[in-house]
Amino acid sequence: MRYGDTVRKIVHTVLEKGMVDEVLAFVPGIDERDVVPAFITDAADAVKITAASYQPYSLASILADYGDKGKKIGLVARSCDARGVIELAKRNQVNRDDIYLIGIECYGTVNPANAKEGEVYIFHDGMEVGGKKEALDESLLSANCRRCGYPIPSMADISCAIDGDGATANTPRGEEILAAANLKSQGSTVDASAIKERAARWQDKDFPDLETDRQERLDYWLRQFDKCIKCYGCRNVCPLCYCKDCALDADRVWVERGRTPPPRLFHLTRLMHIADSCLNCGQCEAVCPMEIPLTRLYHQLHNELRSIFNYEAGINIDDALPLGTFTEEETKAGGVELG
Amino acid sequence: MTTAVFRPKILAFLCNWCSYAGADLAGVSRLQYPSTIRAIRTMCSCRVNPQFITKALLMGVDGVLVMGCHPGECHYIEGNMYTRRRVIALKKMLEVLGINPDRVRLEWVSASEGTRFADIAESFTATIRQLGPNPLRGG
Repeated sequence: MRYGDTVRKIVHTVLEKGMVDEVLAFVPGIDERDVVPAFITDAADAVKITAASYQPYSLASILADYGDKGKKIGLVARSCDARGVIELAKRNQVNRDDIYLIGIECYGTVNPANAKEGEVYIFHDGMEVGGKKEALDESLLSANCRRCGYPIPSMADISCAIDGDGATANTPRGEEILAAANLKSQGSTVDASAIKERAARWQDKDFPDLETDRQERLDYWLRQFDKCIKCYGCRNVCPLCYCKDCALDADRVWVERGRTPPPRLFHLTRLMHIADSCLNCGQCEAVCPMEIPLTRLYHQLHNELRSIFNYEAGINIDDALPLGTFTEEETKAGGVELG
Repeated sequence: MTTAVFRPKILAFLCNWCSYAGADLAGVSRLQYPSTIRAIRTMCSCRVNPQFITKALLMGVDGVLVMGCHPGECHYIEGNMYTRRRVIALKKMLEVLGINPDRVRLEWVSASEGTRFADIAESFTATIRQLGPNPLRGG
């Protein structure tokens, strides 16, 4: 029994029975610390899928960029991938009806650059490195994963355990898939509250207190922004930055060609565009060659806005985007605040 | 030697149908209000992209006023509803970055509210005077 067997079994089933045309998932790369995304079309290849705890790309953006339009596509998704698909569907970038979200539980990922020798698997109560069980070393996890409170992808059609054959159907389509794979839907055996507690603890630690000195905070972020070499990595990798024609492209009024660091407006614009839906997937920070902690900024702002607009990114496809909607009560309220 | 008095620069985005007419009324009624206000007329307050406000702050204005029609009175039916949500989000963004969100203010001013326009200009200028020069100046 390998970790992720349930997912492999489900992917095998959906491909064999023709429920989907292709499945996007991670398969091993050049060594045990590398995984690469791959579209799988042959059921026999389902066995290659890995559940190792690396997340070098956001599968949601790969799906939006390279997924064949009009085809049924399965996606082996961690919470951040599944939430990304839901946010992109709200923005008409992917068709949710064409995508089968096969969720896999995730208790954190490790940046391959920081990983120890041997394949790494993270569990809710420990980790396994190169086949040896160890206590969980939180410092090994990516910073965004430590702050993540969504270990179980309950927004996907199915959520599968990494270890064992636990699988839960969250939608009618999920039930259909489980029935086809001869699996019984059962709730997760893992208590997610410990992970939510870990998320809250790290958020407390990472996010500067808004009551403390503003100037210090401003100086810090301006220093960070001034490290920027304008490689556009954060924009290109972000699952929510989907515009083909971007306001931040050179010589489009806002950002002039050939100047680094870019005007601070570059970062402030991206911050404003992403803030309402940031998934805390950590890609912008992982890809940044200058190590600007962008995810921390976006995630903190998203958290602040979440309480104002009562909106959680990527959870419910029926929740309207907060900056593109308003309520009936708001039209009757006279003030400049909501309600 | 006298110490230099801080004269704030304030940018005001005025909606064509209400606030701009309100400012006009303040003018023809010869109401006195501070000369710190520089007005830009937009067809609707929701034409004001949050990027315009950040750009203005980065160019060194000390405060930004956005004015539109009262809720329910928008010439385009619902434009000001979006403005409200955007400005709330933008102010939160400034707070997280470490800029005082009081530097941006959204107000509803109708075409008949010349006095209200002058009062807001007065009180916003006082607020900005108290906050001092914009820390982003020159960014």
